[in-house]
Amino acid sequence: MAAQSADELVGKYLKAIGGSEKLVAVRTLRMSGKYYGDGGYVTALLQLNRRPNMVREENSTQGLTGVTAYDGTTGWKIDPWGGKKDPEPLEEEELKGIIEDSDFDGPLVNYAEKGNKVEYVGKDQVEGTDAYKLKVTLKNGDVQYFYLDEEYYVPIKIEIERNVRGAFRYYEMYPSEFKEVAGWYLPYSIEGNVKGSQSKWKIVYERIEANLPIEADRFMKPALATAPH
Amino acid sequence: MVYAAVPGKLWSDSNDRGLYKTTDGGKSWSLILKGPNPSTGCSMISMDVHNPSTIFAGMWDFRRKGWTFRSGGDSSSAPSGSGLFRSTNGGESWVDLNQETAHGLPSKPWGRVAVAVAPSSPKVVYAFIEAEPPKNGLYRSDDGGATWQALDRSQYMVWRPFYFANLIVDPKDENKIYKPDLVLIASTDGGKSFSNIAGGAHGDFHDVWIDPLNTDHLITGDDGGLWYSYDAGNTWWKADNLPISQFYHVSVDMDRPYRVYGGLQDNSSWVGLSQYPGGIANAQWENMYGGDGFWMFADPADPDYLYAEYQGGTIGRINRKSHENRNIQPLPVSSEKKLRFNWNTPIALSPSQKGTIYLGSQFLFRSRDHGQTWEKISPDLTTNDPEKQKQEQSGGVTIDNSAAEMNTTIHAIAESPLNSDVIWAGTDDGNLQVTRDGGKTWHNTSVNIKGLPKNGWVSSIEAGHFSAGQAYATFDFHMSGDMVPYAYETGDYGQTWKRIASGEPGPVRGYAHVIKEDPIDKNLLFLGTEFGIWVSLDGGHEWAQYKGGNFPDVAVRDIVVHPRDNDLVIATHGRGIWIVDDISPLRGLTRDTLEKEIAFRSALPTVQQIPAWGGWVYGDASFIGPNPTGDAVITYYQKKRHIFGDLKMEVLDQNGASLGTIPSSKRRGLNRTTWSMRLKPPRVPPGASGAGGTGIGPRVVPGVYTIKLTKGKNVFVHQLTVKTDPRSTYTFEDRKAQFDLTMKVYRLLEEMAFAVAEINGVRSSLEAGASKLPASDTLGARLRASSSEADAFRMKIVATKEGGMITGEERLREYTADLYGSLNGYEGRPTQTELDRAESLSSELSGVEKDFHAWTDAHIAGINSALSGRSLAPISVLTREDWEKQTSQK
Repeated sequence: MAAQSADELVGKYLKAIGGSEKLVAVRTLRMSGKYYGDGGYVTALLQLNRRPNMVREENSTQGLTGVTAYDGTTGWKIDPWGGKKDPEPLEEEELKGIIEDSDFDGPLVNYAEKGNKVEYVGKDQVEGTDAYKLKVTLKNGDVQYFYLDEEYYVPIKIEIERNVRGAFRYYEMYPSEFKEVAGWYLPYSIEGNVKGSQSKWKIVYERIEANLPIEADRFMKPALATAPH
Repeated sequence: MVYAAVPGKLWSDSNDRGLYKTTDGGKSWSLILKGPNPSTGCSMISMDVHNPSTIFAGMWDFRRKGWTFRSGGDSSSAPSGSGLFRSTNGGESWVDLNQETAHGLPSKPWGRVAVAVAPSSPKVVYAFIEAEPPKNGLYRSDDGGATWQALDRSQYMVWRPFYFANLIVDPKDENKIYKPDLVLIASTDGGKSFSNIAGGAHGDFHDVWIDPLNTDHLITGDDGGLWYSYDAGNTWWKADNLPISQFYHVSVDMDRPYRVYGGLQDNSSWVGLSQYPGGIANAQWENMYGGDGFWMFADPADPDYLYAEYQGGTIGRINRKSHENRNIQPLPVSSEKKLRFNWNTPIALSPSQKGTIYLGSQFLFRSRDHGQTWEKISPDLTTNDPEKQKQEQSGGVTIDNSAAEMNTTIHAIAESPLNSDVIWAGTDDGNLQVTRDGGKTWHNTSVNIKGLPKNGWVSSIEAGHFSAGQAYATFDFHMSGDMVPYAYETGDYGQTWKRIASGEPGPVRGYAHVIKEDPIDKNLLFLGTEFGIWVSLDGGHEWAQYKGGNFPDVAVRDIVVHPRDNDLVIATHGRGIWIVDDISPLRGLTRDTLEKEIAFRSALPTVQQIPAWGGWVYGDASFIGPNPTGDAVITYYQKKRHIFGDLKMEVLDQNGASLGTIPSSKRRGLNRTTWSMRLKPPRVPPGASGAGGTGIGPRVVPGVYTIKLTKGKNVFVHQLTVKTDPRSTYTFEDRKAQFDLTMKVYRLLEEMAFAVAEINGVRSSLEAGASKLPASDTLGARLRASSSEADAFRMKIVATKEGGMITGEERLREYTADLYGSLNGYEGRPTQTELDRAESLSSELSGVEKDFHAWTDAHIAGINSALSGRSLAPISVLTREDWEKQTSQK
């Protein structure tokens, strides 16, 4: 079988998830669902994305809603469960995570323009399913591995490495249940874990909506406590 | 540029042995120094860090066999190839440093050679040379290897050089040297004398790393693990986060949770819990014996006792509580001269007669009275080859006769679970013996195995569970350089044998240590080799490597199927104990099933484990073994990975009512997905801080639940039986009372959430009206005042003081959340206090709601009339119905 180049694989991936035209037409995304942790711990999730790189993530439990957001420049959070509802700066790794989430199309689409590098590093298996493995080096130097299903070219596993204060942290994510939203195939289910750990968290989106009007100020850091009373 | 000392094949001649060099980052390598014979390799290299073209290399002639080893030459006609060499041109040419070429070096023959150039003063070179005593010991050169002076040869400089020859020189001080041995010794006077700095570490040291910037900071590795010192070896800290223990064998008991027993290479015999609240910390493992550990069993006839052994068959019967130990090893009667016990002496329990125990030397022994008396039930079952009984001459240049080379011994024992007169015994020299009359007569059946090389180790025997004539055996030939698996099955007491794993054409890799037959499904076999564990669903025709849970490619030395819990308990030699929870879904997994798109697999009923908390904070330098999940596990087979569209899994109760959906697993093959058995968490009103304990829902009561899996248009249904933990002390009625009261408080929290939403709705409406009025309109002030009045009701329900401090403020929400958390944490009958508390909180909330409605009845109509006069929207009061609609969307 002929060797696949990174660009060929990225091209097939883009086609598989709906194609450039469909993606570009989507200006905002609203995703709502649930987070499942260990021992029956369930929270309600809401994620808002707006082009080019704004994101707001909400997590509701115990009567309160926490927020983590990035407005394209600044990342911030409200962590209300301890009784303090003022916006605060993000931890180093939280900021890396939210910047990753703010990339509206993901790191493979227009990767060179974003300063990312992509290499094809060979075939591999994901839990017994054959896959093409792409190494994505983000602009900040962190590395992600995308495992594209051999038949469908959508990612079935993403490995994430983050350099945090000089030490690496490793995670694995397994996207699935891809469904079409405005012509774009998005994963409705994502399973994740710290690499090597058998304790898994799971996200299931119940609803993903494209192109709802979402104002830019939803992503901006509020001056004062804004959590609902 | 990298140099690598390559040992080649460990157990046989190899022309690949020697020192290699790469100059292109490992793409290509060339052999730059080779021994004079195919058993000599490179034991150590050391470079002058200031002039990397100067390299010293120790060459070592070594060979180990099952019954002997030599560090040095094979015979007078095959002299030792060991030597010390120096290159000054990066390995292009070498000078052989010996008695003739370098003044002061000892005469040959030599065994193992260690060499180290002092980084701070590279003319200073140290060499440890295993020469014939008294010429063995430490040598030092101060002129880059031209001349040498003999220095220390104290006990732990020269002891067991095949195991310990290594030298480490301090990076800053050429007179400071470390020599690993049984203890770690260090010199500060250039090698004249050494001190013991082993401190509280385990012993049997192998290497030392010295921090080049802070040379008091050391890391050493010994047979007990990894140790850190920050004061040049005066004190040592153990690295407790490395689960790399090397088990030989494993067994289990029938307690709840069951315990795991096993012996470790040079680290004693341990018993540990298979699960523990908070995880299985090192503290959940108890040392019961000493030495190297091998077989270990709970005494099924007396739960207060267990059996363990150390090397050479030193079996003890140990009181579990007091740790009192009684040595019960059979001793020779004079005519026998010596009982030959393997390093890893087999102990076996009778599967059918509680209290009957077997032990093997060259004879098979049986005891029915806890080792008080032993009955010899066999003649010498080995080849009794005198050539393999010369351990007193073993070691080469330095004699070394530990129990490790004892040979012509029994190595594996198995009694048939169906007939206690059928007993198998396998030896380390190729005999696979069977008796069918309880030991009166024996037959060596390995002669019936076609194509089996001679004199291998019978590494394991498994007596069949379904026919007394059936057995499985593995043979191991790695000590003669043959690394392929040999696994056989017989159905006729060994008259004929069939090979069921050969590594050709695959997929089983590595020499075989153990084979086990599932006690329920006769076609389900497990095979442990040097490189992992393989599973066969069809009696050994086809095998697949088990990789679940990231199980590593590690040596698997023993396997047990837990007879009650169906867990697969695996003893690895290098990664500790692993447990695969409940393997019953593998039973009866046929080719038909594997062709199905999706098929549920039956498993044991789900036990609702007692909610319990334990463990503590041990820091990051401590390994905590994970527990099995406390959730219900739902197992299904899927032919292909699920990628597109829904794979929806819904749980239904006994009445067919949905308890919600749970995330499904998507992989190809067997999937395990979990259900917490909890309802969704209650809706809780917002307050000053999180309502702790309300993040999870109540756990459903035991019963039968239905799992409905929908993939596209296809629906697959499975019944899941949920049971109470057998350890629990309460009745189903108690459990139901707990569930009912928890649900009552759950509903109270939700009622509260609605009440606060209702108040907040009125307040928002009032504030919205006020914001639309001109400042001059006094209605604005009235609306705002009303909003404050309404808020007073809210402040009776929830704590409102914010700011991230411990305010200690508690209102109905906080009290109710506490009660809810408490009820959820214990599943027996609630206390009367809790029942009364739920009642009073409920009635207090009703009181606030009643007062609020009285307030709205008194005020809202008037306000609405005033708003209507200004063409503004009336104050709306949220209904429960609308609130349900709003919040259920979330």
